[in-house]
Amino acid sequence: MSDTITRVGRVEIAQREEAPVPARQEVVFDIRNLTVRYGRTTAIREVSFEIYRNLVTAVIGPSGCGKSTFIRSLNRMNDLVPTAKVEGEVVYLGKNLYDRDVDPVEVRRWIGMVFQKPNPFPKSIYDNVAWGPRVLGMRSGLDDRVQRALEQAALWDEVKGRLKRNALSLSGGQQQRLCIARALAVEPRALLLDEPASALDPIATSAIEDLIHELKRDYTIVIVTHNMQQAARVADRTCFFSLSEEDAEGERSGILVEYDETQKIFTSPSDPRTEGYVTGRFG
Amino acid sequence: MAETYRVSFQEDLDRVEAALQEEGELVIRALRGALNALRRRDLELADEVIAFDDDVDEAYQRIEQGIHALLARQTPVAGDLRLVLAMLHINLHLERAADYCVTIAKLTKLVAQNESDEALLAAFEEMGSRAEEMIRLALESFHQRDVGRAESLVDLDELIDRGNRRVVERVLDLGPDRSLREWGLRMLIVSRCLERIGDHAVDIGEQTAYLVTAEFREFTDASHPSEERLGDTHG
Repeated sequence: MSDTITRVGRVEIAQREEAPVPARQEVVFDIRNLTVRYGRTTAIREVSFEIYRNLVTAVIGPSGCGKSTFIRSLNRMNDLVPTAKVEGEVVYLGKNLYDRDVDPVEVRRWIGMVFQKPNPFPKSIYDNVAWGPRVLGMRSGLDDRVQRALEQAALWDEVKGRLKRNALSLSGGQQQRLCIARALAVEPRALLLDEPASALDPIATSAIEDLIHELKRDYTIVIVTHNMQQAARVADRTCFFSLSEEDAEGERSGILVEYDETQKIFTSPSDPRTEGYVTGRFG
Repeated sequence: MAETYRVSFQEDLDRVEAALQEEGELVIRALRGALNALRRRDLELADEVIAFDDDVDEAYQRIEQGIHALLARQTPVAGDLRLVLAMLHINLHLERAADYCVTIAKLTKLVAQNESDEALLAAFEEMGSRAEEMIRLALESFHQRDVGRAESLVDLDELIDRGNRRVVERVLDLGPDRSLREWGLRMLIVSRCLERIGDHAVDIGEQTAYLVTAEFREFTDASHPSEERLGDTHG
């Protein structure tokens, strides 16, 4: 009898050990006092927090709170906006990505990005995935590399017989997974997803969410989403951005309000602004 | 921040909470009826209490369905989620408390022809009034989200538990009369019912604390009683 009780106890403990957040986490992104301005407008102000390895971190918040600005600053995509000015530091594995000696192209090779609207090149499925490795001179074993990326993106079985077909012949959900495969083909360490499923139907969305769950074993993932249930489903940790009160000039800027385990954010957030947003009471 | 959204969701939440308070009123009426029927040997009233349970069950079902709809259609989170979960539990506690009132009414009918003991009847009136007070306090403190008052239910519950222990002593002393002994044995169950109603009121208080603090904890730990109560098996 007591043996049975002990065994039940052990099973419960084993399940608990599978919990997503181990006690010690390696910091992948250490964001320190990050402020991003577009001309005279401050998009995000003095954001500081740490993003951990092999976790999915969701960024939620109302429109205009700087979510996309924030995620784009993690691989220097904001450099492409002429008026953008970045202050503070994004320390990636110990190196500030905004140091003078850092090559932004190199940054984007290690930190891949997938956008809201699937944006495959009007080329074959194969060439889409092979494009990054070719640009980077990773030419040996290209076929294997393409297959591996498509497998990782859970698209291989659907396209293996028609790799030469135009990528634009794929469905929206498949195109988005192709874009994820394209990002994975250059073997990045981290993956940034900016609203990756907002243009997709629920089935294609589920496929992307399952994929995110699989990919976090190998990658550190940051996802911006408007869909709070999606954040609740896929993310281990969630940060809530909102707009500050108006300053002396009547300007508002995006600020980090709260950052915690996803379950905490959705059952008992600490900040009333988070509570107001996740319960849908306040914009 | 000035604009407020999800107005109809809030109205649905308010409606379920109001229905829960109404269910609580029904339970208090059932309890009062059961106590009066017991004391006055009023079999008609006892039958009414038994039939009245259908009203409580109906209220229970309505609230249950309302909560299912909220969960399925509104996906509540954070404070809303805690409120919905707390109401789901409280609904069940109230329904169970009403069932104990039915048991009391049935026992009242069962021993209607037996001898009875005045001192015990007085004790039940006191325990019952205490249970009534506890249900009321549990519902009020939930309504007011008042953890302090919810926690004070533990003290009231201790009084009922003591009453329950005294009943056992008294029944043992009822003497040789077979009719009176049978009555006494049945009344042990009545006592137990009142004691359980008190426990359900405490459980409702725990839900209030969960709603407010987001942490569930039992106000008292029945599995690990404190040292001075170790010999007590009736708690």
